[in-house]
Amino acid sequence: MSNQTTINLEINGQAHTLAVEPRVTLLDALRDHLELTGTKKGCDQGQCGACTVHVDGERVLSCLTLAVQVEGRAVTTIEGLSDPGAELHPVQSAFLEHDAFQCGYCTPGQIMSAVSCIREGHAGSDDEIREYMSGNLCRCGAYPHIVEAVREAAKVMS
Amino acid sequence: MRDFSYLRAGSVDEALSAAAMPATMLLAGGTTLLDLAKCGVNAPERVVDVTHLKGLDTIRVDAEGAFIGALAKMSRVAADPAILAGFPAVSEALWQAASAQIRNMATIGGNLLQRTRCAYFRDPASFPACNKRVPGSGCSAMEGVNRGHAVLGTSDACIATYPGDLAAALVAFDAVVHLGERKVPIDDFFLLPGTTPHKEHAMQPGEMITTITIPASAAARHSTYLKVRDRQSYEFAAASAAVGIEFEADHETIRDIRIGLGGVATKPWRARAVEDALRGKVVEPETVKSASRLAVEGAVAHGGNHYKIELAPRVVERAILKSGALA
Amino acid sequence: MTIVDTKMKRGDASDGLLGGRLARIDGPAKITGAADYAMEHSPEGMVYAVIVDSTIASGRVVAIDTSAAEAYPGVLVVLTPDNALPIKTATDWTGAPPPAVPYEPLAREITFAGQHIAAVIAETFEQATAAAALVKVTYEETAPISSFDDPRSGEGYPIDMMTKEWGDADAALAIAPVRIEQEYKTPREYNVPIEPHGLIAHWEGDMLTLWEPSQWIDGMSRTYAEWFSIPFENVRMLSPYIGGGFGSKALPTRYGAVAAIAAKMLDRPVKLAITRPQTFTAFGGRPATRQTIALGATREGKLLSIVHRSANETSMDDVAIEPLGSVTSIMYAVPNFSSRQNIVPVNTVKPGALRAPGENPSAFGIECAIDELAYEVGIDPLDIRLLNYAEEDPHAKKPWSTRRLREAYAAGAEAFGWAKRSPSVRSMREGKQLIGYGVAAGTYPVRRTPGEAMVRILSNGTIEVASSGIDMGQGTYTILAQTAAEAIGVPVETVVVKLGDSSLPRAPVAGGSQLANLMTGAVHVAALAARDELIGLAINDPNSPFRDLQANTLTIEGGQMSSPRDAGSSVAIAEVMRRTGRNSIEALRNTLPENLRNKDDHFRNFTTISTMLSPTEGDYSMHSWCVHFVEVRVDVDFGTVRVSRMVSALDSGRLYNPKLAESQWKGGIIMGIGQALLEEGLVDQRNGHVMNNNLGDYLVPTNADIPHLEVISVGIPDTNASILGGKAVGELAIVGVAPAIANAVYHATGIRVRDLPITLEKLI
Ligand SMILES: Cc1cc2nc3c(=O)[nH]c(=O)nc-3n(C[C@H](O)[C@H](O)[C@H](O)COP(=O)(O)OP(=O)(O)OC[C@H]3O[C@@H](n4cnc5c(N)ncnc54)[C@H](O)[C@@H]3O)c2cc1C
Ligand code: SF4
Ligand code: FES
Ligand code: FES
Repeated sequence: MSNQTTINLEINGQAHTLAVEPRVTLLDALRDHLELTGTKKGCDQGQCGACTVHVDGERVLSCLTLAVQVEGRAVTTIEGLSDPGAELHPVQSAFLEHDAFQCGYCTPGQIMSAVSCIREGHAGSDDEIREYMSGNLCRCGAYPHIVEAVREAAKVMS
Repeated sequence: MRDFSYLRAGSVDEALSAAAMPATMLLAGGTTLLDLAKCGVNAPERVVDVTHLKGLDTIRVDAEGAFIGALAKMSRVAADPAILAGFPAVSEALWQAASAQIRNMATIGGNLLQRTRCAYFRDPASFPACNKRVPGSGCSAMEGVNRGHAVLGTSDACIATYPGDLAAALVAFDAVVHLGERKVPIDDFFLLPGTTPHKEHAMQPGEMITTITIPASAAARHSTYLKVRDRQSYEFAAASAAVGIEFEADHETIRDIRIGLGGVATKPWRARAVEDALRGKVVEPETVKSASRLAVEGAVAHGGNHYKIELAPRVVERAILKSGALA
Repeated sequence: MTIVDTKMKRGDASDGLLGGRLARIDGPAKITGAADYAMEHSPEGMVYAVIVDSTIASGRVVAIDTSAAEAYPGVLVVLTPDNALPIKTATDWTGAPPPAVPYEPLAREITFAGQHIAAVIAETFEQATAAAALVKVTYEETAPISSFDDPRSGEGYPIDMMTKEWGDADAALAIAPVRIEQEYKTPREYNVPIEPHGLIAHWEGDMLTLWEPSQWIDGMSRTYAEWFSIPFENVRMLSPYIGGGFGSKALPTRYGAVAAIAAKMLDRPVKLAITRPQTFTAFGGRPATRQTIALGATREGKLLSIVHRSANETSMDDVAIEPLGSVTSIMYAVPNFSSRQNIVPVNTVKPGALRAPGENPSAFGIECAIDELAYEVGIDPLDIRLLNYAEEDPHAKKPWSTRRLREAYAAGAEAFGWAKRSPSVRSMREGKQLIGYGVAAGTYPVRRTPGEAMVRILSNGTIEVASSGIDMGQGTYTILAQTAAEAIGVPVETVVVKLGDSSLPRAPVAGGSQLANLMTGAVHVAALAARDELIGLAINDPNSPFRDLQANTLTIEGGQMSSPRDAGSSVAIAEVMRRTGRNSIEALRNTLPENLRNKDDHFRNFTTISTMLSPTEGDYSMHSWCVHFVEVRVDVDFGTVRVSRMVSALDSGRLYNPKLAESQWKGGIIMGIGQALLEEGLVDQRNGHVMNNNLGDYLVPTNADIPHLEVISVGIPDTNASILGGKAVGELAIVGVAPAIANAVYHATGIRVRDLPITLEKLI
């Protein structure tokens, strides 16, 4: 196949080597090449937030990031937020407790975004949470419960 | 998306010489570049990643003003305490733009160079006619769905809105775009569509934005950015205004006022007529209201966007009153 | 296969019973990224398909030049109408027998922009996408009729079965002391679930496996089987989790056929993912609607007559009906009534179902009109609703099974503080914000199809529930676990639920808000049968620990069996199973009436909607009801509307799990807020394109658009409506939201907006 390059990615603390074309997005690399399908594709245009992951600890959209761009940076996906079998991240527990999702498709993106929202110090009030969680659309309409979950998780995390 | 080769620039010089090559694009945050590549608007053969360049993401504010490296991320600039203190409108324009994720990716340089959201421009497969994409091909928006299109600075060739928020604030405060050594005042950096809507800015092939500077001013210190849109968040402006005011010692006579408009014009728009009408005046609701109407002098609507002619002055008016209360 | 178990503890023990607030049992998978949505499989050798759509809305494909695409690296085939494997037309969802013509999912005759013309299949997604852009299509274009706003579309044609009339509506209107008449319009609206559509198709011989998000596994499987002339059993469809559907994932699609054709032709698994822009044209959303409503009333506001004329858009080649008289005809007691509906063909994809099709736009009309009447006669909008309260179904002339709407009005008004409303318009204000209060009611019918379920008691005491029914967020996994746990008498943690797989017992469509009621009913019946068999075994088996007790029954509680004769000694189910040497007890049960239990009717019941009962079949008229109280703040200069406060009171009968039902209600309310203020497909009248075909331009609410929402359940169990007493939940709450907001905006501003959405230019 044409024009593939070999890249080394660090995802959830693990090193991965893969051969992809430069145009492959981080989102497609995760989902199609690494079978890390927890990160979702809702629009592929930067307009929904379902593909949110952390790069060097900050939330970004993996659909508008090339996989090659993040060589040398640390990528965290929903699968890496808490270890399998280990205790859930406080944000994950709060989402469960407050029923902050229905279909669950926007949820990994919401959770990754929520973790950042709290870390950034943007969970100070319900209105602040609403604004700083607005980059993640939820068509099921879980917003009020997402606000509750972020508010409660912020207390636990502080 | 067409395939391309990917290079990481090791130095500004490397980036510049790569940028001089045909069909080559610099990749910063990628939020415009990749979006438009997926739409089929951008089809670079080479993409040169500049995000690993050192030293281009500095944010510094001193008595002269702000010095913002082109690679500084929107989120960092928005949250910078010195920017917040010296240029609140800049911070507000940034945090009200896009989403937290996009602001963590997008750079200040890339932000200025974002392109119109005109739906016809963004869909080349369905709409071959777009003078901005293909000079001389016509304009599909003029008689189409144009609720978001510009009412100021339009031409017979193109009515596409410049969508960015930041630039509306920058144009108010006379920011300067540094292309390496060459410095271009922001108002000259952005071009009116005229008969050449494909030419959006004054940058030449082989140039790149290295820094943006904003001179310090009392007006900038007492400034605000007001953005009106259908949705509360994660949307471009229907109309927005960056306003900064400096008063005389009497605290009510306007010595200096700066007004930039977003969401209504083909380029970041300086509302000089409103400024002129208010300089030396006392901030009173009626004075402000009538002066604000001057913001849309010469405006032309194309049907769906008519409301912007009504809305923009009201946004300007409210922003003036708000910033007046700050000063 | 997806198995969801309840091992994690979530909430109190009592939460596991029906009616308890148990957290979703599929939750842990969803919050960790482990939930495997249909499109997230990669069978060995999978390749990628990308669809090429028509860029014109009307005309004919003259030629397709595929040479550049075929030459593109990685491309395996470019499908066009000329080379695609022929397939047959299938029975449609109503059960109507198919015409004996081939089914052509790729079109030559173009009737809407975005119609599938070709498909490119390549080794990678990137290659297929890039090559699809290289397919060159030559058209012969004719002028499209882009919407029913185009005068050339005319009046359309009447749909007689939509006509509802009693009394003499025209005559009564003519002499009514008070008359108002207005037109109400809703635009094209789209489902836009966050998971876009698509599928993976994989042939092994003449066995077809489909991983496809589906609201109706059995209905869709039947279509695939008929398309390819293979037995129904040869189709395996898997849809373990669905990233939202809202009506848009219930029926088979053209691209589904394309993917299955490609997979067969290439003999490789094919993944076809619809792009976000394509989700606006690969299938339809809610059609645009218009309704003219004339109300005749006494000066006191008592209704004398309703004359209702309506129309919705449909496609050029098919009939889509959005039943616009559905709420108009049952909400108020009115002695004279006439409702008629047309459909107007235009160059659009065939409209589909979007949350509360019919009821939603219907309520927008009548609930705004009644508000207008209230202002006209000068009484409170809540009082006018009570004044015209329908004590029985005015259309069917049958008693309501349950209608707790009066209770809803009272509870909602109290919680909202409706009494604080200042009666005149534009009379409440805070700074630049005009404040308005609005109220509107909603309703959704109880639809009923018989169900089926398998309940197994395994040797280790685990209870397994199995069905091809699905969970797209409504909470099916969870409430079925609760149902089985309660019926058998075990802790909910011991229940495992398997869903979304055509190899499991049948289920009808997850649509019309019917699934929860029919599935809990079927699981309840099956679980009781399994329990009875277990008890029989424990009483009769020679090796049973209860053998010597000579009991004629046993009780099961908390997974422990005991005899009323010897309450002290209890034995775990697993122990009974071990002692009696049984591997499992299985009960497969359905709730079909006797006359439908034959093989053909059984199949028809689950693969068509032909056995679905209407809400008025039988002695009662059965519906869910709700009322929404809204406070809006309208910026006096900018015309921007924000919903600042909202209280809704709802009657969905018995709630199997209030926590999850409340989530669905709030979800519906939020979609209603979007409908009221943001959502509108913007059609270019010149060429029929939906110009805002993406999530940046077709605006759905963000978190910042939604205030705190209060929902109050006023329902009581209604066992006429369903076996366990529930009524419709999922589609109810959106109904009435948009009119409540429009009414509040009128109260705030004095401006009556009768065409949705209420965008700022309509208020400045
Ligand atoms: C869904 C969505 C919503 C958005 N909403 C808003 C909004 O509300 N308000 C708003 O203002 N913006 C909004 N944006 C636009 C966003 O702010 C821009 O996409 C972003 O700022 C671009 O920056 P970037 O670094 O990602 O640029 P890139 O995509 O990397 O680059 C953009 C262009 O600039 C060129 N370039 C980049 N850096 C340089 C440089 N230093 N010198 C020369 N050329 C350079 C690139 O070659 C490319 O052509 C939105 C974007 C999306 C996708
Ligand atoms: S408005 Fe400008 S960008 Fe849009 S179609 Fe016309 S020429 Fe192209
Ligand atoms: S998939 Fe990336 S923002 Fe929607
Ligand atoms: S939970 Fe379904 S989209 Fe958010």
